[in-house]
Amino acid sequence: MVLGSGPIRIGQAAEFDFSGSQACTALREDGYHVILVNSNPATIQNDPEMADRVYIEPLLPDVIRSIMEKERPDALLAGMGGQTALNIATDLAHAGVLEELGIELIGSDLEAIDAAEDRDLFKKVCESIDLPVPFAIACNSMEEVLSAATEIATWPLLVRPAFTLGGLGGGTVWNTGELVEIASLGLRKSRINQVLVEESILGWQEHEYEVMRDSADNCIVICTMENIDPMGVHTGESTVVAPQQSLSDADHQYLRDCALRLIRKLNICGGCNCQFAWNQATGEVRVIEVNPRVSRSSALASKATGYPIARMAAKIAVGYTLDELPNPITGEGTTAAFEPTLDYCVVKIPRWPFDKFRTADRRLGTSMKSTGEVMAIGRCFEEAFLKAWASLEYGEPHPRPLTRADESDGEGMAERAHEALPESTLVEWLRVATDRRMGALLEAFRRGWSVERVHEITRITRWFLHHFENMAKVEKEISEYIGSIENLEAYSLRRWKRLGFSDAHIADAKAEFPKTGWKNLPTPAGESAVMARRHQLGIHPRFRMVDSCAAEFAATTPYYYSTYEGIDILPDIEERTKERMVVIGSGPIRIGQGIEFDYSCVHAVKAIRESGRDAIIINNNPETVSTDFDTSDRLYFEPLTLECVCEVLIRERAHGILLQFGGQTAINLALPLESRLPDLEKMNLNLKILGTSTDSIDEASDRERFESFAERIGLKMPRGATGTTADDVRAAADKIGFPVLIRPSYVLGGRGMEVLSDHQQLEAYLKEAYLAPDKPLLVDEYLGHAIELDVDAVCDGQEVLIGAVMEHLEEAGIHSGDSTCFIPVQTISPQMVERVREQTREIGLGLGIIGCYNIQFAIQGERLYVLEVNPRSSRTVPFVAKATGVPMARIAARATLGMLLKDQSIPNPRTDLVCVKAPVFPFIKLTGLDPAPGPEMKSTGEVMGSDPDPDVAYLKARMATEVPVASGGGAYVTVRSADKENVVPIVKELLELGFKVHCTPGTADVMRRHGLGVQTAYRITERQQPDALNLMRKNEIQFIINIPTTSGGAVRDGNMMRRLAVELNIPFVTTLSGAKAEVSAIRAQRRGPLIPQRLKVTYLKD
Amino acid sequence: MSRTINAGRGFCPGAGLVDSAEIPSFPDAADLMLKPFGNPPIEEVPGLLLLADGGRFEGLLFGAQEQAEGELVFSTGMSGYQESLTDPSFAGQVLTFTYPLIGNYGIHAQCSESARIWPRGVVVRQAMSCPDHRDSLGSVDDFLRLHGVTGIQAVDTRAITRRVREHGTLLCVMGRADDERALKRRLEVLKAPDLEDLVDEVSIDQPVLLNPGFRGPRLGALDCGIKYNILRELCRRFEVLWCPPDISLDVLVNEWAIEAMFVSNGPGDPAHPGKATNARRTLAAAVASGMPSMGICLGHQLLGLASGLTTYKMRYGHRGANQPVLDLTEKTVAITSQNHGFAVEDPVQGMLAAHPSGANSGPQENLIGAEVSVSHINANDRTVEGLDIIGLPAFSVQYHPEACPGPHDAAPLFDRFSEMVSSTLRGDS
Repeated sequence: MVLGSGPIRIGQAAEFDFSGSQACTALREDGYHVILVNSNPATIQNDPEMADRVYIEPLLPDVIRSIMEKERPDALLAGMGGQTALNIATDLAHAGVLEELGIELIGSDLEAIDAAEDRDLFKKVCESIDLPVPFAIACNSMEEVLSAATEIATWPLLVRPAFTLGGLGGGTVWNTGELVEIASLGLRKSRINQVLVEESILGWQEHEYEVMRDSADNCIVICTMENIDPMGVHTGESTVVAPQQSLSDADHQYLRDCALRLIRKLNICGGCNCQFAWNQATGEVRVIEVNPRVSRSSALASKATGYPIARMAAKIAVGYTLDELPNPITGEGTTAAFEPTLDYCVVKIPRWPFDKFRTADRRLGTSMKSTGEVMAIGRCFEEAFLKAWASLEYGEPHPRPLTRADESDGEGMAERAHEALPESTLVEWLRVATDRRMGALLEAFRRGWSVERVHEITRITRWFLHHFENMAKVEKEISEYIGSIENLEAYSLRRWKRLGFSDAHIADAKAEFPKTGWKNLPTPAGESAVMARRHQLGIHPRFRMVDSCAAEFAATTPYYYSTYEGIDILPDIEERTKERMVVIGSGPIRIGQGIEFDYSCVHAVKAIRESGRDAIIINNNPETVSTDFDTSDRLYFEPLTLECVCEVLIRERAHGILLQFGGQTAINLALPLESRLPDLEKMNLNLKILGTSTDSIDEASDRERFESFAERIGLKMPRGATGTTADDVRAAADKIGFPVLIRPSYVLGGRGMEVLSDHQQLEAYLKEAYLAPDKPLLVDEYLGHAIELDVDAVCDGQEVLIGAVMEHLEEAGIHSGDSTCFIPVQTISPQMVERVREQTREIGLGLGIIGCYNIQFAIQGERLYVLEVNPRSSRTVPFVAKATGVPMARIAARATLGMLLKDQSIPNPRTDLVCVKAPVFPFIKLTGLDPAPGPEMKSTGEVMGSDPDPDVAYLKARMATEVPVASGGGAYVTVRSADKENVVPIVKELLELGFKVHCTPGTADVMRRHGLGVQTAYRITERQQPDALNLMRKNEIQFIINIPTTSGGAVRDGNMMRRLAVELNIPFVTTLSGAKAEVSAIRAQRRGPLIPQRLKVTYLKD
Repeated sequence: MSRTINAGRGFCPGAGLVDSAEIPSFPDAADLMLKPFGNPPIEEVPGLLLLADGGRFEGLLFGAQEQAEGELVFSTGMSGYQESLTDPSFAGQVLTFTYPLIGNYGIHAQCSESARIWPRGVVVRQAMSCPDHRDSLGSVDDFLRLHGVTGIQAVDTRAITRRVREHGTLLCVMGRADDERALKRRLEVLKAPDLEDLVDEVSIDQPVLLNPGFRGPRLGALDCGIKYNILRELCRRFEVLWCPPDISLDVLVNEWAIEAMFVSNGPGDPAHPGKATNARRTLAAAVASGMPSMGICLGHQLLGLASGLTTYKMRYGHRGANQPVLDLTEKTVAITSQNHGFAVEDPVQGMLAAHPSGANSGPQENLIGAEVSVSHINANDRTVEGLDIIGLPAFSVQYHPEACPGPHDAAPLFDRFSEMVSSTLRGDS
């Protein structure tokens, strides 16, 4: 049995899909039957192709136990599912379940897990092998915390909770007040109620070693990594370089010895990650921590070196020794028992959600806030860094000079974009680690600051600073270059390209970074001119192989990166007879674009390979299955910019490109790519953009074009208007009538989208919104009390296959990505469903969709509205596939390749179960973010529950989110006036279920009028006891119904209460429908134990 | 560099081990950087690297910026460039580093493996001009310049590596781009450095006791190009007589009273008739006499030759810090540091991973009179990595247990040798 890691969330992302998938493949090769359990429907690992038996069930010890009782596995491999799986394994082992059922825990040793996780034990282990750890005291209570602070007697101190994920609940504290605040949260968050109070080693370097060991005690170091951000920033939040750069061989060998001593002492068989702090000034070292399992870092190390760590760890877990295993990169004649050596430099940059969550606290510390990461490879640091930057997709594909507009968002941005960032702000951005720091480094050197000055402020190792300084120097050189772009000489251009400067960056620097306004790039004309000149001079990137051995051996894995130098060795491209199809990946995991798109890309690749063509993938996310070395025929680890994609297309002489599987990232390339096709044709490239034509994509995405389309075929849409000035927006809102749904046109997953119910809220919104002639605001009619539906379908031009019609639990207005949704629909009439299906067909055929598309509908009474059509694979495609057993992504990819639906043997959808998809939110990690779902997407991932009974299916999904479902105790109910009557039956049911119900005075009055015995709890602002916060702190509230006056509106009463609920892990719902479902779940929970459901998905044969 | 350096100077392996006032000390290659030195020329000098197979690579010269030539090899270590540059086994060669960023942490005092830089030329993707390390005395460029060695940078080192991998090690010349014709002419007449007596070039002339009075058996360390760290390791376990390769066993036993024998690493062809052959004879005589003996690298190849095995030139050898070595007895793998272009033929498998030239020593006479067995092999290409002389206290390894650069996995071999010496001297069988 292999355990997955559950939903994507901050601190635990797609890396475990990647490692779990590798492990499944590795084990099945050897004839093992694999039972995989993961609550996340969006992963590749729980596709039936990957494992023999798949369960999409909550990752909770009891559930796993019941699956074990049913399946009777021989062994449990827990090291592939992150902290979640490891915690379950230790729970089951300590409870004696594994022993009772005769299940062997393989790959990780229980004692090793305990020793690595329990800080006190870990300290003892380190001391026993003479490795220094930071001076620290483990504390189990606040009294102990305070006395520890007295004993250590230096500030700042570091608080680290034991047994948590991504360092949750820890932090650096500078005084007793902060200590109490952070430590009390840490104590609560720790599974064993323990925090470590320790000496601060802020400013030291941080180095990581990825180590493997087998049962014969052979140990190897796969990869070393050096964090650019000094100690104090979680390694998942750091910009990281591999291999390490600033250690001498003697330093490195010393740390290597330490790492090997640790893995041996902990008796780990498999992979492990060791983190060290290194004082560059003195050469002192401290062991920071050991992860006795594959991790985010090991995924990065795998992609950075080419060495498949998870695969090897799985093989080791079943008893192989490293020297028995061939190195899959270099093939026969080489063994897995060797240390990869690199001939390039790798840079990883985390991807943070602060572009969407503008109110969230951006400071980086010991707990994670990033949702994903990008990786780039170059032959020098500058090249790798700039490529990584281009991969981030924050809207600026290369770093531009910082302006006051970067400081804050809102009105007047256009003007502020013309003022340079004040020096004091720049110092602050350098001093405090935030997502802005890397850009600030370059900015400082642009302004001529010295390496020493920046080092003083940041404590960042000078080696890195010298390279940032060099980038600034080259920018200056470009801007001072005399002569036009058309006459650029080869020597300079080649030099700049070699340092990683993109065509757009060169054009921008050449024009001295014109002040174009916030997030507004110069016209692409300059970029095209640089490209044209470059191509004229015959300067193209060379593609180098990631081969784990610096070309010492001929490698067999086709994994490439681009760089500008020397001679390219094309692997006999002329001799290739197969058609070559390129799939564009979806880049870093972020809110709104997660692992679901990677799932679709992997299926697209498989469909291409099945059809006898070569599948090529371009992506830059090191965590994913799509970037695994054996997923595609050829993998290019590149930024998903037009320039980089075009160069790969030229190199491959590709026949086709698939843009509909990589989310918005890929589909956004459609128009720019089409406009470049003539240039590419001149280079003998006859490329087809496969699937839906760019014109149809535009028709579906462009609001005006789609409106006229909808009118033509008789579809109803909510009324809407756009405004480019504040007055326009006001007029539009008046014309449509409040409430209105408002959002900027510059959208990714609904950024800045809000429901406004009156002028006051509109004015507040306008103050924060960014408006410009080319970035209008969209104002829409808000459909109150409407039911929202999602449909995923495939069209081949002749016929439409509807995957599923999904009904959202929450009413329209909550972002579809944040809604809980059901397959099949629960409250919609069959006639209405038929209308939905009919309109879906009309849209697909009418727009000329080839491949997949997703439509959002809303039903208000008898009226059916089309909200949005996405001419691409959607977030729900994997959920539909797993719920119905119809592999939508694969079918869509085949349709894209020209295979008609009628020629595909498509299975009938499974109908015996109700399947529920529920979102998982990052509220605990992101302070400053209102923890309530609204029109702006906030969730990071999703889980699925399935059962014949819809209440049980919902219950399972809810349990899988790992927010508990209340079983009894106290409930707190506070609802807006409009819903007070509606909540009566729910409160009644809660009382029947034995809950003690606390209501705010207004709500309580209504309840009492209905004869319900409720308690009064006051609002915080009423300053009377008992208030809600107090009750919650006293552990008297186990469930909260909180329906705010406007969901996610500018006025956010109750934010404090919801924030506390998040911190105390108390479940809360913010919609009436959510409350009903939750109460049904509470009831369902009492009906008896859950029955695990095995996944049945039929896979298409040719 | 403006930073104050408190580093010591030179190489003094006996320091701290014995109380004698007469501990000899030797120069370290980095000593030149302890004195003030000038800045590199600002002007870029376009350079050219020409390969015997017609390969032509443009780049920029650094270091001495003169003409250089030799046998082109590559090393895959990602750190440890200072140790490699000063490793005498690279004599006669032009060294390419596959890792593109060379010089990150500068040049450090007392980290060299000899008194000078041995490669005749150095090829890198980028020689870092701003090293960053608390012990840094200066850049790689400074180091090469002060030692009069030419380097070329901004060349495509991966393409060079692939050529060497595909064609085997080959001859090359480098120099100023405007001297292309002269470089070509030079390349046409260039002779393989294997033909030179490289061991003679790199070894000392007179024996010297490094740690006189050390409480331990006295060991004769035949210098065929010995790395300083081998001497350090030996000095911790033995009273070490550092001696020239052509010293005879008679002198060693009768004049110096050594009780154990060690033969070091070194450059070139182990079957070269010059001083390597002298060293082979001395080693063979020692082993045959029952004296406990150990060989590393060239010393290993000499032990192979002495016991009647053939040595041969490898396609491109093993140079780096990640070579997996399988211990055939223990069935464990050690990750080792290696630097060799010749190997001992496997008695069963033959000449694995051989150079296209087919160069080899031909059949050899067994000078020891005892059988030999293969104790270690390379886990990748299965070439011989270790030998045991059956029935006699002698063994050798192809790799470098002294590391520097590279991992310490094989370090216990020195203890194994030390125990072997003690038990032989005690008369255990």
